[in-house]
Amino acid sequence: MDLTSLSNPLVTLDQLSSSSSQLDGLSTELENSIRFGGVQLTEAAGVLLRLPQEVIAQAVVIFTRFYTGPEGGSFLINPVKDVSAASLYMIAKISAIPQTPRSVLNVYAYLSLTAPKSRMDAPSDRQRPDPESHYLTTGAYLAARTTLLQTEAMILRALSFITKVVVPHHLALTFLQTLGVLPSPPTSKSRALAGRTISHLNTGLFSPQLLYLTHQPTALAVAAIYVAAKEIGVNLPCSEWWEVFDVDREELGFLVVGLGSSRLWAEQESRKWVEGKCPLTVEEIMLEMERGREVQ
Amino acid sequence: MASPMLNGSSHSPIGTALVHKNQPSKRSLELLPNGQPRFHGCSSIKRYNIVSKLGEGTFGEVYKAVSLKTNRAVALKKILMHHEKEGFPITALREIKLLKLLSHPNILKLEEVVVERKKEENNRRAILYMVTPYMDHDLSGLLENPAVRFSEPQIKCYMLQLLQGLQFLHASKILHRDMKAANLLINNEGVLQIADFGLARPYDDPAPEPGKGGGEATRDYTTMVVTRWYRPPELLLHLRRYTTAVDMWGVGCVFGEMFKGRPILMGNSDLDQAQKIFALVGSPTEDNMPGWSLLPGCDGVTTFEQKPNALHQAFREQGSSAISLLNELLKLDWRKRINAMDAIKHPYFTQVPLPAKPGDLPRFEDSHELDRRKFRGQKAAPPPAPAGGTVGMGPNGDFTHGVGPPNHHLSGYRGGNGNYPNGQGQYGPRRDHYDGRQQVPPVYDHRNPASHGPPPHRPTWARDVNGLPPGPGLPPRPPGPPPSAVTWGGQGRAPLVREDSRGGQPNGARDTYIPSYAANRENRDRVYRGRDCEQRNDDRGDRGRYDDRREQGPRELGRRRSRSPDIPRDRDRNRETYRR
Repeated sequence: MDLTSLSNPLVTLDQLSSSSSQLDGLSTELENSIRFGGVQLTEAAGVLLRLPQEVIAQAVVIFTRFYTGPEGGSFLINPVKDVSAASLYMIAKISAIPQTPRSVLNVYAYLSLTAPKSRMDAPSDRQRPDPESHYLTTGAYLAARTTLLQTEAMILRALSFITKVVVPHHLALTFLQTLGVLPSPPTSKSRALAGRTISHLNTGLFSPQLLYLTHQPTALAVAAIYVAAKEIGVNLPCSEWWEVFDVDREELGFLVVGLGSSRLWAEQESRKWVEGKCPLTVEEIMLEMERGREVQ
Repeated sequence: MASPMLNGSSHSPIGTALVHKNQPSKRSLELLPNGQPRFHGCSSIKRYNIVSKLGEGTFGEVYKAVSLKTNRAVALKKILMHHEKEGFPITALREIKLLKLLSHPNILKLEEVVVERKKEENNRRAILYMVTPYMDHDLSGLLENPAVRFSEPQIKCYMLQLLQGLQFLHASKILHRDMKAANLLINNEGVLQIADFGLARPYDDPAPEPGKGGGEATRDYTTMVVTRWYRPPELLLHLRRYTTAVDMWGVGCVFGEMFKGRPILMGNSDLDQAQKIFALVGSPTEDNMPGWSLLPGCDGVTTFEQKPNALHQAFREQGSSAISLLNELLKLDWRKRINAMDAIKHPYFTQVPLPAKPGDLPRFEDSHELDRRKFRGQKAAPPPAPAGGTVGMGPNGDFTHGVGPPNHHLSGYRGGNGNYPNGQGQYGPRRDHYDGRQQVPPVYDHRNPASHGPPPHRPTWARDVNGLPPGPGLPPRPPGPPPSAVTWGGQGRAPLVREDSRGGQPNGARDTYIPSYAANRENRDRVYRGRDCEQRNDDRGDRGRYDDRREQGPRELGRRRSRSPDIPRDRDRNRETYRR
């Protein structure tokens, strides 16, 4: 939505210091892993539904907000898959390209059979799962739709109907133009800079530090530009240019570290689980919790 | 979390839950050790003390309530969950999202959304209400009150507030798309607020700039919007790339309405509407409306009788600056129609008499609606359903032909168009149409179009109520099936309705409804709320409205003059008879 307002509601300290999942006995580490898996799932579903990244990113933020804070959802109560599907469905509904429950549920049925690593690649014929295996029969579809709509209502109530999510992607491009580093016609370097900036913004969605819930879009955009420019080797003004965009040095510093470390963290997460499949269902999560307890 | 999980007897404390891992849904992890739910979510409706029912709109009922926390009066608008297959209604979601984003003194504020859970029902079906401040009147109702006569400073005051709200809305790149007197709420402090964002949508083109009218649009929008009497000529001619100027036309209509005390352009079909417009401001030429001949036209009609601009004549009692502003607002050329920021600077507002300050305006008699209702032993009359919008319904061009104006869910606050706050008898007259088809003298006949000021008004309670059903229930049923179906058509389901009646199904709604027109000569505008083009691919809107229809239909007849949906077929046939 193109409104003049460019700010998001942010989480409070209370909401950051505890979470519903933690109250249910989940370790912070496992919670972060599950959230990572859930964001991955949402991204994959959005890509398969051919939704624009702006919509997918909004759904990811809704998903993340829902599980945040002691009054939010718990991974042990609200299955990741359901919340992910409902977030995507609800956000798509208020976007320019609403999706039918059927398409959303079909995609999630398919995704439940594929490993995260191969999700977004077009599968070769041999790898392609047998369509029968992920076909939703009418009965299964109706049941899944009921769950989808119930979960949607739950998310709306949990978030007090605040469905507005401003994502920083378009802002970042505007800022890059303002900084004069996007010449026309574009050079290979400026293209790389813009691409890298957007990549960092997308990576930030996965961050265990909940960057999208703790920082305003302007700050995220500035930090992504800063990191990307460093990596690509583009010189930005020597002065404190971020001040122009209402971002102070301290916040920028925090975000730069957060974005910069996201990649490492993502790689670590992917290695941590067999085929990148972190536990997502309530049963899997409980098994994992018991295993963790035994190890101790 | 949400209540679904609160059932079951296992209020096991956190930690023991793992024991039940085979039945996760039974666990009650969401309870805190003290037994309180961990999840709060929306406030409960229990925080409000419901005082009375204000009306019923298309999308649900509206109640007046008092917040137990702040002790302030609020209006609670029920969000009906029609589209079970779609989940939370898309129009409601959009309206809530928009209202949450907008903060301006002249835009109705959404305070919160509260939930009501009924124990006996399946608890997943919670009922949601939108909470907004309680406003005492709507402009349409106020204008119908014979005791109220607007002074010029008062009109200027309301106009300024309206323009300021609209300027903010347009600067925020939002099209309201249902500007009309019934959607302008006024409280006893003289504050005017724009309500009903059920048809609103983000505007994808540049916001208006000073001196440039509404600018140019680059994308297509649906033309099935705006209540007919307030619909601008470019929409009647089916311009898809319209701009914020569509709302400005509505402002012009409201402006004129404040002088005349009744809507100034009461077309009974789209074509008639266009003809009435051209009779007032002149027929379109390449000079005054460049490009008009390239538009699809109105119901297939692309030629109109040559008429001069008669605005000066029609409003000759007003000062030249008022007419000048009216002329700017009612410009056929949507590119040159004045925008809100320029209108605010119009000399009209700086000439004596100067605009009143909101606080200096007289307080009007508060809503006697409720008292009247009690007097009659009846339930609240439903506000006329806003036949409204349907953003998101099927692509049915039919509305164009005046059939069912779609109503939209959320329009509702004044659900019935404004009646709610201060009925000033609005409910009444409408109701009379209903039963009074034969008995009650045509209420509106008294209005002399040329006169200004409110028409003679016969209060509801003074009318013959014979024939009203005794009970505290619905208004009298018309012979045959309730007219509801027709009225309800408002929503996207209009097409459905129409088909029904055409098909000879026992849906007498239309016919029963029509007589009311005859009796009153009142044509109510239909709200054609369109669907958004972007949503056409789904059929929502066509579903599941029967229930409400059943419940609310009959009351629709009670709607005020500007709301009913259209029933073109019969209406057009009979119209000439009652037209003045």
